Amino acid sequence: MSTRLARILTTIFVLAIVLLPIYWLVSTSLKSNREITQEGTLYPHVPTLDNYVRLFTEKQFGSYLTNSVVVTFFSVAIALVFGAMGAYAIARFRLPFAAESKIGLFLLTLRIIPPVVILIPVYLLMLSLGLLDSWLGLIATYTAFNVTFCVWMMESFFREIPVDLEEAAMVDGDSRFGAFRRITLPLAAPGLAATAIFAVLVTFNEFLFALALTATPRAMTMPRGTATLIGRIDTDWASMAAAGVIGALPIVFFALLVQRHLVRGLTMGAVK
Amino acid sequence: MQTGTQARKYRLQGAGLDLALPYLMLAPGLMVVLGVLVYPLWDGLRASTRAYRYGSPISNVGFQNYVQLWSDAQFLNSLWVTVKFVALSVSIEAVLGFALALFCLHEFRGIRLLRTVLIIPMVITPVVVAILFRLIYASDAGMLTALSEAMGGGGVQILGNPLNAFIGLVVLDVWEWTPLMFLILLAGLQSLPHEPFEAARVDGAGSWRVFADLTFPMMRPVLAVAIVLRTIDAFGTFDQVFVLTRGGPGEATRLISIYGYDTAFKFQQTGYAAALFVTIGLVVLALAFSAIRLLRRVDAS
Repeated sequence: MSTRLARILTTIFVLAIVLLPIYWLVSTSLKSNREITQEGTLYPHVPTLDNYVRLFTEKQFGSYLTNSVVVTFFSVAIALVFGAMGAYAIARFRLPFAAESKIGLFLLTLRIIPPVVILIPVYLLMLSLGLLDSWLGLIATYTAFNVTFCVWMMESFFREIPVDLEEAAMVDGDSRFGAFRRITLPLAAPGLAATAIFAVLVTFNEFLFALALTATPRAMTMPRGTATLIGRIDTDWASMAAAGVIGALPIVFFALLVQRHLVRGLTMGAVK
Repeated sequence: MQTGTQARKYRLQGAGLDLALPYLMLAPGLMVVLGVLVYPLWDGLRASTRAYRYGSPISNVGFQNYVQLWSDAQFLNSLWVTVKFVALSVSIEAVLGFALALFCLHEFRGIRLLRTVLIIPMVITPVVVAILFRLIYASDAGMLTALSEAMGGGGVQILGNPLNAFIGLVVLDVWEWTPLMFLILLAGLQSLPHEPFEAARVDGAGSWRVFADLTFPMMRPVLAVAIVLRTIDAFGTFDQVFVLTRGGPGEATRLISIYGYDTAFKFQQTGYAAALFVTIGLVVLALAFSAIRLLRRVDAS
């Protein structure tokens, strides 16, 4: 009985720690700035949706959301295709001088280096190509980050699939690429899903490069746009809270929807 | 005769394509990586040996930027703040995550809800996490102030005070990343073999003995990997600080990434900032490779 009580109390405690800040965000987003700073209420006494309306009518959050969705979709989709092919080549072929495993190690090393290291040269590159403040500049950058990640994740998924199946397909007249496309790729679908989900999360949430590479609502993503609301002296708390809710909602909803894949992707590398 | 040659031609074409296939499959990904990661990396190394004015290089200075770093009090301070931040956050996360994973190892009602809810902090956009905590810490609109006033106290000062702001940042990181530690360690615990634990129970070992002699030693590799992953990640922390404190008050929460960003984009010292970032990269790589070596030794023994 006492262990049961301890479990219930611990569970409630952990839930409260996680959910209280979120409750406060949502509750603040439903108050007016006057109620927030002058009355300090614990819940919205006069709930209002004005803050949300203002985001879209005055603060261009519609553009930010569009930019985020477009940039995330293309950079993840391209990286998945390129990454899956590269990972398959590394997992299945033996090249001269063990080139495939050297390439794999090289991509892994690139992944370990913190992205901030290449922030300045990527900025200079996009500046010289005229791609600052554009979708294309962000898509190119995020695709590169996602490719290293996709190759690394997908490689282990491909290794788990027995070669025999492909060989059987090739005996039946399939080409090597045909066997990859028709046999191996569908079998690796759960791995592909886990990889895609993780890439979507990281890309949608990225801030540092969006901060350096974009400057106007033309290309600003959600995190970048949200950060512009934060003034130095006078802070519009109500808008900030509403922006937080809008910024977090799609990604939290998405994460809870695909929870099982997500947990697998998050923990895979470490336990193996 | 004609059909024979044609068949051979098809076969040869097939063989040729199959031979080139690995290269064709690797090429697109590698091209993107070479263009957008490797070239900038090389360009960054080159920039780090130059002096810049108004964003364009004016002279080669060799390793002078790197030498200058180690006599720059602001750089040394940001390095120290980063080391403190990483060490403190990651160790708290490891202890809490491990405790929570042990607690959740046995199925009970409510555990699924707990696991679902614990996903939220680590998937929320880091910028929004920083907003969450600004709304908690703010001296006028903050949750802490509201709670304190509801209980008859006064306003609470967090972000205006150097020590409190630093602790506040560590608390944010612990809130955001303990769940990841928990998930990794839980997966590790669930993959441990059952036999040793049954044998220990038959022998009548107490739960502390089981933990110290079995669970902890067997979990050491997973724990090490989780700590290394988090450490590397925490070293690059930027978004949360940028939105929460912008490095302040003073330099109390100015992590190395924030200092580098300001050097590059606020003070326009492109070459110096490039040298700083290359140094961070080398530190993290050295950290990662020594960790991998260490893990191999643990595995072998």
